Amino acid sequence: MASSSVFRFLVLLAALIWILADEKNVTRERKRSPINGSWFNMGLMEFEKWSNQSGIFTERSRLCARIRGLTPGQRRVCRRHKDHMPVVSDGVKKGIGECQYQFQGRRWNCTVMGETVFGPLTFIASRETAFTHAITAAGVSVAVSRACRDGRLTSCGCGTGPRPRNLHSDWVWGGCGDDLEYGYKFTEGFVDIREREGKVKRGSREQGRQLMNRHNNEAGRRAVIAKSRVTCKCHGVSGSCSLITCWQQLASFREIGDYLRDRYEGATEVKVSRRGKLRLRNPRYSLPTAQDLVYLEESPNYCVKNESLGSLGTSGRECNRTSLGLDGCSLLCCGRGYNTKRIMMKERCQCKFHWCCHVKCNTCVKSTELYTCK
Amino acid sequence: MTGTIIENLSGRKLAVLVTFLLLCQLTCFLIGGLVAPMPANAQMMIATVCKDTTTVKNDTTKWFYNRGKGACQNIGLENLHHDLSETDFVFAFQMPLPRENMILDYSRWQQNLIGVLQIDIKYHSLMEIQPRSVITIDARMAYRNKGDPEEQWRLYTRSVEKRNLDCDIEIKSEHHLYNCSAMPLFELGSLFHDYYLLNIRLPVETPDMNSHIGHIHDMSLIVINQNGGFTKVWVSLKSVFFPSIVAILVWFWRRIHMLQRKPVLLEKMLLSLGLALCLLNMPLEYLTLYFDLPFMLLLGDIRQGIFYSMLFSFWLVFAGEHMLIQDTSTQSSLKQYWRHLSAVATGCASLFIFDMCERGMQLRNPFYSIWVTDIGTNLALTFIILAGISTGIYFLFLCYMIWQVFINISHKRQSLPTMCSVRRLHYEGIIYRFKFLMLATLLCAALTIIGFTLGQVAEGQWKWDENIELEYTSAFFTGVYGMWNIYIFALLVLYAPSHKQWPAVEDTSDTQNLSEEIEFTPLQERSSEISSLTSFLKKATID
Repeated sequence: MASSSVFRFLVLLAALIWILADEKNVTRERKRSPINGSWFNMGLMEFEKWSNQSGIFTERSRLCARIRGLTPGQRRVCRRHKDHMPVVSDGVKKGIGECQYQFQGRRWNCTVMGETVFGPLTFIASRETAFTHAITAAGVSVAVSRACRDGRLTSCGCGTGPRPRNLHSDWVWGGCGDDLEYGYKFTEGFVDIREREGKVKRGSREQGRQLMNRHNNEAGRRAVIAKSRVTCKCHGVSGSCSLITCWQQLASFREIGDYLRDRYEGATEVKVSRRGKLRLRNPRYSLPTAQDLVYLEESPNYCVKNESLGSLGTSGRECNRTSLGLDGCSLLCCGRGYNTKRIMMKERCQCKFHWCCHVKCNTCVKSTELYTCK
Repeated sequence: MTGTIIENLSGRKLAVLVTFLLLCQLTCFLIGGLVAPMPANAQMMIATVCKDTTTVKNDTTKWFYNRGKGACQNIGLENLHHDLSETDFVFAFQMPLPRENMILDYSRWQQNLIGVLQIDIKYHSLMEIQPRSVITIDARMAYRNKGDPEEQWRLYTRSVEKRNLDCDIEIKSEHHLYNCSAMPLFELGSLFHDYYLLNIRLPVETPDMNSHIGHIHDMSLIVINQNGGFTKVWVSLKSVFFPSIVAILVWFWRRIHMLQRKPVLLEKMLLSLGLALCLLNMPLEYLTLYFDLPFMLLLGDIRQGIFYSMLFSFWLVFAGEHMLIQDTSTQSSLKQYWRHLSAVATGCASLFIFDMCERGMQLRNPFYSIWVTDIGTNLALTFIILAGISTGIYFLFLCYMIWQVFINISHKRQSLPTMCSVRRLHYEGIIYRFKFLMLATLLCAALTIIGFTLGQVAEGQWKWDENIELEYTSAFFTGVYGMWNIYIFALLVLYAPSHKQWPAVEDTSDTQNLSEEIEFTPLQERSSEISSLTSFLKKATID
């Protein structure tokens, strides 16, 4: 009697485990499927072409359904803020561009691979993935804040409360809030919502990935605020500083990129604890702050080509023969050596500029040597 | 036979009065901190670059804007077409920005508008900015009111201005931006209309014009306006203070007229100080709701200047009147203080001239700035330094005089033990109260200075993510404003001539005291009814 109930229990347990495991497989499959992809591909969309179509931002337009890679939650935000989407796309584009600038001459150079943008690399919770999340979040945050400031977005925040009841008198009474804050909050709502959707088991790899992404997105958004400068103007009696008003000035995106690359170099490896929290993998290191990047897994070897991991390898890449740094031929080519080619290059030189449009240049022909990795 | 009220006021009444005034002070501070929003608000806007295809660029009826019917054709500065010339670019700023899907407009409660231009310049190895470059700006401003058609902008003002570019860069590499300091562009003394539009061009009429300013990446304008809520709170404070100060002035003046003698210098000074405060308190801001008064900024400066110069002069005279170095027989007049007062006069005059040069000129041209030309900068600096020096001299004078008063009082105090006990206690009380008021003055001044410094520090570290419930800057403003009002109110009350007769005060005391009162009387009368403290001190000098 007792043994039969134990047996029945075991069968049930096995069935449960099987179902759970299967479900996990299904979710992984779905996540890996190229159709769902990543919202990063918004950065590859050509919204300029779309914006010629009339009524694209109206209530009835099917804009949000046409953007691929959005989760249901993101689609909801999209439907509420259709006019934000070109701006978001612009921000992601900026983020990708900055990533490519920051990583030019490195083994991984932020190559865009088709619709999922960074290819299968997205599935590895590496340092590089951490950086891509941070830089895109920063890009969207900057783009939204900027769009508020040039009047392209009309729905930017004003009152300090959730939504002022009578905006006009609120504005007259106390002025409007900061655009940087709006950019931060919108990005938080639009990007982080991905990581809150879908049930994951506490302490699982998926949950760790969600936590990691959220942490890195936050780091990217904070970078925008950390790099912004406070500028003040005195306008008291006779222009004295008895009255002083300050505002936040956005830093150039290059500065934010530089800052985030420093964070990438000092990124912290973490693991997910059984209780569903991120823990330091090596307890001797100091705890990462909200501005630091974190990653869960080691990066793959970018030296060799591995399609399934998303690594393109470095053969055929241009390198710098004299440099001892990461872009130097010895490091970039992973010790395989390089080919030398002599080419003639046409360059614009001795240019004279006026403030905007008059550029008078001579064309110089230079012969240079081009080194590519074997 | 009369003294001032402070001398005849019992300790309990004084305590009640002081508590009441302190409560008023606290209320002022809390109104600023809890009710009023911050004094001013900044809104940052990025320029829309418009394409101007017209051949005549001088046309002030043609306006470029980015929202509403007739919006301009937008071009990016990133990838420029070579068929455009410098004169085809117009940087347009349409104020205010829309928010929460609503088109906002300025309210007259927002009082004034200050514009600061921020230019982002990209580094280009072939086009570095030379130090001390000058940028020439053709700025045109238009306005529109609610109900006007969307394309009907009317010219408000127009000017071609020069500004100094002050830029530096840390990392000299492509796509990094120069760190350029913001340049003040315009100051509108009245915000009478609903919408404003600023069109900026960078002309190249001579080969040297705008040729060393690098590659402009972005242009943004920061507009600062006073917050309507702050104006409302401020004006209501004024509406409360103005009648109460007028009432207390009338009461004070009637009291003086009820005396047989003519008012003494100190009373005249108190009266003019009260009048200066009335001028400052007058809620003229109500007029800006109905009339276009661009001179309000300048008028505010002048009103504040008059008040502070009166306050400074009053302190000097107050200290001087209690010093008694001069001949006691003559009635003191303002002439005796000409050396001390000239410091105040010089300081105020130089600040006034500076203000007229800056804000006075801005009445004619809102884009005017004295700091652009070298001569203007030197001139402005001269006046400011002059004002600073005279303030320094003034405070030296004042400290010296107060020190002497205290020395005098302590000297005279030594003769106190020879007097009878009741009288001695009374005089000690007077000296104590004089010192108390001195202390109050010092406290007010110290609080103002401390509050001001804290405000500067707090503003310098300003970041949006710090959610502070108390609006510190507003609290400082209303607190300080209320403090000086209450201070002067207290002076007027406490230094008004008392109607109480000496014996009346001493009624409860013993008969021995009465006999001494009679002994004392001739001296009191001889010294012509001024404050009994001064008379006491004078008596001691005569002794």
